[in-house]
Amino acid sequence: MLGKLVKYDLKAAAKIFILIHAVYMLICFAARFLYMDRLDFSEPSEPLIFSLILFISLITLLVSALSIITCLQVAFRFYRNLFSKEGYLSWTLPVSGPQHLWAKIISGYILMAADCIIIAAGILFLVTGRNVTAAYNTVADELTAELGCSLSTLSLILLAVCLISCISSVIMIYFSVVVGQLFPSHRVLGAVAAYFITNFIIQIISVIFMLVLGFLPGYNTAMLDGKAMMEHMFRLLALSFLLMLVITIAQYIASHYIMKKKINLL
Amino acid sequence: MRPILECNRLTKKYGSFFALTELNLSLERGQIAGLLGPNGSGKTTLIKLLNGLLVPTDGHIMINGLAPGTATKKIVSYLPDCSYFSDHMKVKDIIAYYSDFYKNFSTERASKMLDTLEIDRNMRFSALSKGTKEKVQLVLVMSRDADLYILDEPIGGVDPAARDYILRTILANYNENATVLISTHLISDIENVLDRVIFLQNGRLALNETVDEIRTKYGKSVDALFREVFKC
Repeated sequence: MLGKLVKYDLKAAAKIFILIHAVYMLICFAARFLYMDRLDFSEPSEPLIFSLILFISLITLLVSALSIITCLQVAFRFYRNLFSKEGYLSWTLPVSGPQHLWAKIISGYILMAADCIIIAAGILFLVTGRNVTAAYNTVADELTAELGCSLSTLSLILLAVCLISCISSVIMIYFSVVVGQLFPSHRVLGAVAAYFITNFIIQIISVIFMLVLGFLPGYNTAMLDGKAMMEHMFRLLALSFLLMLVITIAQYIASHYIMKKKINLL
Repeated sequence: MRPILECNRLTKKYGSFFALTELNLSLERGQIAGLLGPNGSGKTTLIKLLNGLLVPTDGHIMINGLAPGTATKKIVSYLPDCSYFSDHMKVKDIIAYYSDFYKNFSTERASKMLDTLEIDRNMRFSALSKGTKEKVQLVLVMSRDADLYILDEPIGGVDPAARDYILRTILANYNENATVLISTHLISDIENVLDRVIFLQNGRLALNETVDEIRTKYGKSVDALFREVFKC
């Protein structure tokens, strides 16, 4: 049953997901051939730097919009399928509450992970023109020494971090939607408020942990050499993952409890 | 044989309002029961509780001896009083969906009924008229070999000719051991198919008798008795 639920969730989301990501990839292709490939890095000038800043800002906006749309898609599918009129069918299927929750976690994760991979693929395509790689090669050694690893390794680490944190993002979205259902007259508003309040609390907890463990205040990363920088980054990542794990488990348990005991489909 | 449905001191509160108050009810197999009562009497609340869509404030529900859950959902076929399919789905997608999730769903029976009604399976659900949507939903619900059919206002939004078709569909598609619980305001339309009548009033059981008992005891039709009991 779990596989069937996941199948129908993905089927429902597929059309919009494919469409917006296809548009993103088309923009990346166009930007690569019409803009990136025409850049001349041999003589850096002010107009070049200005146009690059503008271009990077636009791509950042595009990537952010894409991620937000995917998150909203995941959230709306969860809400509509379980807590709107569609819930009359979903909740009367011979499927348990945890199966519903797991199906949504799996399908939501697949969409968000695919979003990350497609975004990464688009960016990779943008920056792999001959002129860009040649320009990068001139500063590669210096950059590697500064970072403690090559830019490609760092990018892969960041992608892996994104892929792992998608799980907690999905559960956090569902937790917020479920908490919103506790306010029958303002379900959507309740869910949005729950999302921002939860995020705020997590930020405070993170800062407290960083203070307690000596990451803050005044940890000057600019003074670190490459190796120390990597060690510092991995320590931070380990702390983030630990916190993320605890919070995600707590949110999963809370979502499961609320769905079992408190949900009233009106 | 154990009753298909038992409610024991079933209570549901919305805030401080009691939608159902200590309702005791038992329903045997093999009958068509009408769940009747004025607006706000607790009919839809009871139906949602039976389907696990609401959590009781107090009391118990047993369907075939089990509390509402995955096992009871396999044997209960429920028709809500609203459209509940995703608008982007086509009729054929909905049939595939039912076939995927309900082992007791007969695609053949559903297809036959849709053909009789001349409903195009390639149409999107959102493109169907209100009455056709209700017919499609009923066809799907009645195409399951369920032990208990719970139909909330199945004939509320359709024309008289469609009502006849829907009632014929209900009668033709449930087996002798199955029970049908129908909630409606259109008593005169369904009176002839009912074996039993359950009246709810202000969330309490007002009457639970067979149609024959009502006619003998009160010398009235169910419709006339309803108008008398719930006179405004």
